Amino acid sequence: MGMGGKRKRDEGGESGGGGAAEEEVRQVNPQRKQVLPSSIKNKDKRAAVHSKIKHEKKLEKRKKQKDREAKEKKAMDLGEELPPRPVPHTIENQRVPDETICKPDDKELFAGNDADEFSGVLKREFTPKILITTCRFNSTRGPAFISELLTVIPNAHYYKRGTYDLKQIVKYANKKEFTSIVVVHTNRREPDALLIIGLPEGPTAHFKLSSLVLRKDIKNHGNPTRHMPELVMNNFTTRLGHRVGRMIQSLFPQDPNFRGRRVVTFHNQRDFIFFRHHRYIFDQKEIKPLDGKGKNKETKEKEKKLGKVIARLQECGPRFTLKLISLQHGTFDTKGGEYEWVHKPEMDTSRRRFFL
Amino acid sequence: MPRTTTVELPGCPPIRALTFDILGLIKVIESSSAVTEEAAADGSNKPKVVTPANTPKIVEKWGEPDASRCILNASINDSKSDPLLAVARKNGQIEVLNPLNGEICASETLEDNINNPISGLHLFRKENSGLSSRSCSLLTCTEKGNVVLRSLEIGGPVAGSNDDSRKAWNVCSAGNIFCSAVDGTEKYAVFGGKGVEINVWDLESCSKIWNAKSPKKDSLDIFTPTWFTAATFLSKDDHRKIVTGTNSHQVRLYDISAQRRPVISFAFRATAIKSVTEDLDGHTIYFGTGGGDLASVDMRTGKVLGSFIGGSSGSIRSIVRHPEFPIIASCGLDRCLRFWDIKTRQPLAAVFLKQILTKVVFDSNFCDKGTITAATDQPEKEQENKEEDEDLSVRRKRSSRENDQEKQLKPKQKKPVQQEVDDNDDGEQEKQLKPKKKKNKNVQQEVEDDLDDEQEKQLKPKKKQQPLQQEVDGDDDNEQEKPMSEDEDALLPLKRKKASEKSEQKQKLKAKKKKKRVPQEDD
Repeated sequence: MGMGGKRKRDEGGESGGGGAAEEEVRQVNPQRKQVLPSSIKNKDKRAAVHSKIKHEKKLEKRKKQKDREAKEKKAMDLGEELPPRPVPHTIENQRVPDETICKPDDKELFAGNDADEFSGVLKREFTPKILITTCRFNSTRGPAFISELLTVIPNAHYYKRGTYDLKQIVKYANKKEFTSIVVVHTNRREPDALLIIGLPEGPTAHFKLSSLVLRKDIKNHGNPTRHMPELVMNNFTTRLGHRVGRMIQSLFPQDPNFRGRRVVTFHNQRDFIFFRHHRYIFDQKEIKPLDGKGKNKETKEKEKKLGKVIARLQECGPRFTLKLISLQHGTFDTKGGEYEWVHKPEMDTSRRRFFL
Repeated sequence: MPRTTTVELPGCPPIRALTFDILGLIKVIESSSAVTEEAAADGSNKPKVVTPANTPKIVEKWGEPDASRCILNASINDSKSDPLLAVARKNGQIEVLNPLNGEICASETLEDNINNPISGLHLFRKENSGLSSRSCSLLTCTEKGNVVLRSLEIGGPVAGSNDDSRKAWNVCSAGNIFCSAVDGTEKYAVFGGKGVEINVWDLESCSKIWNAKSPKKDSLDIFTPTWFTAATFLSKDDHRKIVTGTNSHQVRLYDISAQRRPVISFAFRATAIKSVTEDLDGHTIYFGTGGGDLASVDMRTGKVLGSFIGGSSGSIRSIVRHPEFPIIASCGLDRCLRFWDIKTRQPLAAVFLKQILTKVVFDSNFCDKGTITAATDQPEKEQENKEEDEDLSVRRKRSSRENDQEKQLKPKQKKPVQQEVDDNDDGEQEKQLKPKKKKNKNVQQEVEDDLDDEQEKQLKPKKKQQPLQQEVDGDDDNEQEKPMSEDEDALLPLKRKKASEKSEQKQKLKAKKKKKRVPQEDD
């Protein structure tokens, strides 16, 4: 202890002596980069430096915020235009430029769309008919998930997998004039992959399925009706994304019953496709009259109608996330198949690069 | 920190490629130097677009999108005098086009096109003495094995084919033909496909001269059914060695003179081999798979030299080797045309072409044309041309360095080079083969010489323009000197020095070339 006390005193003496020097150092410090806390070996000191840096950053941030608010207020008072708000940097808006992003005025794209495998369904030449099956071993959440898929996708039929090869199933489905096959693959009693096969020649998409929440696990869930759902496809921008989007679109009939107020959403964000299934309702918010007792019924009703219209959502059906692993040209064929797109590790050059 | 590695595509030398897609469009991709790009920008009065030089771009698009006119196969005859391009469409149409402007010279329609699409097409390069000069001969092969050797008259009436010059025969009784190739001398053709073993035909007598035997059952007693997806001849003047790719992801080398089973056979990854192309050196093979892998292999040893990594994500339908530059182009289901450097196996450039591509060909005459037009059209832009020259010289240096590296590398791979050749081989063949067996080094030197020649070829057109350029340069300098500041004055002598150095270099090169020309003429 004595030694420690001595050292402390020594340090105090030094710091007292070199007060001017310290100030100099402080002045220099902002110009020069501060010592990285990670390079300090003593934990206490490291923590101290770290907290100091954090504190400074916080102060700086606050100062900036105050400045901005002051400027805005000033502009408001003077009636000038507000200074532009800085747009936060997100991974999406920092996306690596991609030349394959579809443009709305691209004639070649539409010509390509007309020629592709889904144009028949999407032009309502025939209604989609879906065969849903599983992998060979299927239990627990798999069947539950499939029963919910059956309520989501109209005109879907479940067939037991049995011990058939997928190629045989494809043949059978072709004969029965199905337009798509959906295979739910489970691993350790948990659905983990989804295979969508377009028929008769359509591509085969292999998705990883994750974060599956079944209907009964969703709070305040609704029960879907048998109306044809509306479809919302978000953010399928690139050529590949466009194709995958069209493929998913071709699972659903293209004539939604708007009376059913049922909507199925496929939202793509950072190459993950989020599936949601909702019912919506347009509600008029009631505005309570100020003097409720003094007025008669008619005025009450009038004021009710004046209320703002809002849409309320109720989630029903499963909730899951898909990620594309591969898109194969032609029907399922692992051996001789040609891939239109396969994810390869060398393609991950940046976490701001997306393919859909 | 975000995980970021910048993917830099350095661009490629002036080349011209044509791609064919499933909507029946033909797109011309040119990698022009900075000159023409800037000119285009000036012409449209747009702000200057800063694009890196030598980035390939779509320059022309021929045809209207129509799925029934999907192009199945194409073949180019890029001779200097009379280039032609043959295209086979899904609706049974065969068209012969001018690869420079896309005009249709001749066309013919096959019957029964729905069940029996064309799978193979070859446009003959050599002049057929029996035919008039305004006609071309074509070899077509349908999936069911109907091979027709026909000649089309160029510019004549549509579907004007004379029946006496037409030869037709069938190469298979059952199965489907998926791949076919014609050798460099254009006397032999090879066919193969699903359920059809590789077979070689003599095109003059229309007779089968060789048929492969399916490989034996494997160790598990499993017989893999025959399904060839790609075939090519290993070298241009040797019709005996055939390289094939199979649906069971195998690359096989057949030697007609040795045995009926494959001489070398190896498996590559897990997806079918979809395209196979030979290199000019006669032993390297490039092949692409259905999973988007592109790799090169040395067929003397059967060892994969390496894969071309970085880019392709879809099945590779077609690979072509540029006849002069060390470049290959690949295209396929990922809707991109990609250029690769052979030596470094790095991507040089990629062009997104919106449609699934079925075939790509190079127009090897492009280099001279581009520079000539540039010289005639825009004499003011000579300085930039000069820069381009510099580029070329740099490239040359680089490539020579690479050659050196090769020299260092090659002696290590001293292995028994090729299979024993049968007695009935031609004399020429033996000449070619024997030195390789004895002295590898000699051969390498020859190869290097060849490379040098090629590079000189690249330089040739530039040299012709040199006097013109220098004159123009002089003019430019005079004009510039008046308003010039001191800094630029200081730069000037440097520039001139460079120019003088360059001219010296060129004189040296010319001298070299003269020396080399003599032996060439002797050949």
